Amino acid sequence: MSVAAPSVEARSQGVSVAGIPLLATLTVLLFALHIAVGAKPLPLSTVWEAITARDQTIFDHMIIWDLRLPRALIALTVGAALSVAGALMQGVTRNPLADPGILGLMAGASFAVVITTYLFGPSASGWLPWIASAGALATALVVYVIAHMAPGGATPLTLTLSGAAISAFLAAIISIAHLLSEDTFDNLRVWLTGSLAGRDLAMLQITGPWIALALGAGLILARQVTALTMGEDVAKGLGIRTGALKIQLLLVVVVLTACAVALAGPMGFVGLVIPHVARLFVGADYRWIVPYAALIGAAYLLGIDIVARIAIPPREISTGIITAMIGAPFFIQLVRMRAK
Amino acid sequence: MSASGYAGPHVVLRWANERVALRLPVRGIAAIVVLSVLLFGVLALSLTIGSYDIDVATLWATLTGNTVSTAIDNVVWQFRFPRALTAALVGAMMALSGGAMQNVTRNGLADPSLIGISQGAALAVVAAIIAFPGIDYSLRPVIAFGGALIVAVGVQMLSLQRSGNNTIRFILIGIGVAAFISSITSALMTYGDIHRAMSALSWLAGSINAATWNDVNVLSLWFIVLFPLILALSRTMSVLRMGEVTAVALGAPVRLARYGLICVGVGFAAAATAIVGPLGFIGLIAPHMARRLARSGIGIHTVLTALSGALLVSVADLAGRAAFAPIQLPAGLITSIIGVPIFLVLLQRSAAKQHL
Repeated sequence: MSVAAPSVEARSQGVSVAGIPLLATLTVLLFALHIAVGAKPLPLSTVWEAITARDQTIFDHMIIWDLRLPRALIALTVGAALSVAGALMQGVTRNPLADPGILGLMAGASFAVVITTYLFGPSASGWLPWIASAGALATALVVYVIAHMAPGGATPLTLTLSGAAISAFLAAIISIAHLLSEDTFDNLRVWLTGSLAGRDLAMLQITGPWIALALGAGLILARQVTALTMGEDVAKGLGIRTGALKIQLLLVVVVLTACAVALAGPMGFVGLVIPHVARLFVGADYRWIVPYAALIGAAYLLGIDIVARIAIPPREISTGIITAMIGAPFFIQLVRMRAK
Repeated sequence: MSASGYAGPHVVLRWANERVALRLPVRGIAAIVVLSVLLFGVLALSLTIGSYDIDVATLWATLTGNTVSTAIDNVVWQFRFPRALTAALVGAMMALSGGAMQNVTRNGLADPSLIGISQGAALAVVAAIIAFPGIDYSLRPVIAFGGALIVAVGVQMLSLQRSGNNTIRFILIGIGVAAFISSITSALMTYGDIHRAMSALSWLAGSINAATWNDVNVLSLWFIVLFPLILALSRTMSVLRMGEVTAVALGAPVRLARYGLICVGVGFAAAATAIVGPLGFIGLIAPHMARRLARSGIGIHTVLTALSGALLVSVADLAGRAAFAPIQLPAGLITSIIGVPIFLVLLQRSAAKQHL
């Protein structure tokens, strides 16, 4: 990856390194703001106080610890996980339109959760991430095989079309399961629009370690992803075992997507938009795209969730609806720019 | 209706000393007859099957005006008959809409529910229901038409480019537009009064449950106006199939026909969507099914498309109502489940031969 002259490399790396603390600061600020804003606005000083010196008897501290902090943490985690998943997918499929939602992984994860709930009743939440992972993995493979079989192979166009079709198919079956079992419907209806409301920390405790593990693996593999984006032959020439790498990346993407879905339901287009934004700052080097995507994604979803909560008080819009509203025009513009 | 290029046996009808002659492909006519018989069979079946089973003799008596019992009269005339007719009409209209869109875009994958046209109609209606709760029912199709037309023109404009039209690009942009519009509809439903939103929600699943004679009247009116238009435009349509340049060279009014077809296609989709909600994939499947049944001239193809769509939705509605009785599944869900595999099969061929 050291094609550029050393000086250019060093300078651009300097810029990239400088961006990380800036973005981290932004994320922390949004995190604090996310906790402060709401039906009962709290001053930032109270937020700080509550986190550093928790006092069980103060009502504001209870609000923060029981309601706002879990939600902020989940927004942060889901944003980072989906963005990194999207970035890795875009790299490995060399497809600017790749996104866990567009390629059907989210539909697969939701489908697996809904169907197992329908067939076996609400399963122990410890199993949820794994059920979601199995669904996402199976769907990813099916979408890829279908696109691969189309004449011309797995191009961005065929991948997107087969992803959309499979998503529509699974969505129809999910709706039928809802109609057949009202209980499942009530439990999962809000979850399925991609909502951060009313989550507690239990699921985050289950999925957190796995998300951290997958994010770490993504950072380690990022270097090889950069080589892979230059083409399979180049990557092989650089001594990368592309088959093994692709399987590892697929697993990382599936775990990230499934854990994000288990936490917050399907949250569309986050994984599409954020990696492109990251690329604006750091170019094509995945060693930087992955950490940038994680930070920008976390900040983005925190910001979106703030908007979702305060846009039309006293109600709130599902966060997934807003991400789709922003992401879909972005998708259209990408198609307009990229397709021949 | 130049049928000379198509293979297969023909019957030539001649009148008035061969001054009037009509060349009819046997296979096309046979397909029309078979589909019509099947459609009647499904209609009859859907009148008899249900939570209150009625045997054929009783049904016949009821339909011919003899009251066997008021309950049966009620079930047949007030519930099942309008529902069956609505299903058939909506199916035919979605199918014709899909056929028109596929011809205009020269793209075998164009489907009004895939590229956002149905969603545009749905958004317009949901917005109208939430903003003006007391809105007149018969105005719904007009509102839907406005929303759908804006989306159709918007998708066309977004996918226009200097180097001609890339058909799959058009679909992708349509998918993006559909996602965008759906998210706005969802947001409106969150914002709107929950009671009204729930009634909009059942409608959005493509359900024919609550069809009334009023629906049948509205749909028939739109069908009667639009069907002759699509037949009149079909001559130009068949030339358009050979490509825009050829069509212009042959002297066809291409621009007029394109805009006309878009309006007619959008009109069909909008009216159907306004009454039963978005109904997925019928516009995609029916034209292909018609083409498979008989390779014929465009006129017969149009009729076959309408019949295929009517048959498909009638069967879907019947299946959705009978499969898990007493729970009724919206026909839109059944059509999606049938439609997606067919879409994927079509996708396997489309890249090689972009105009199916």
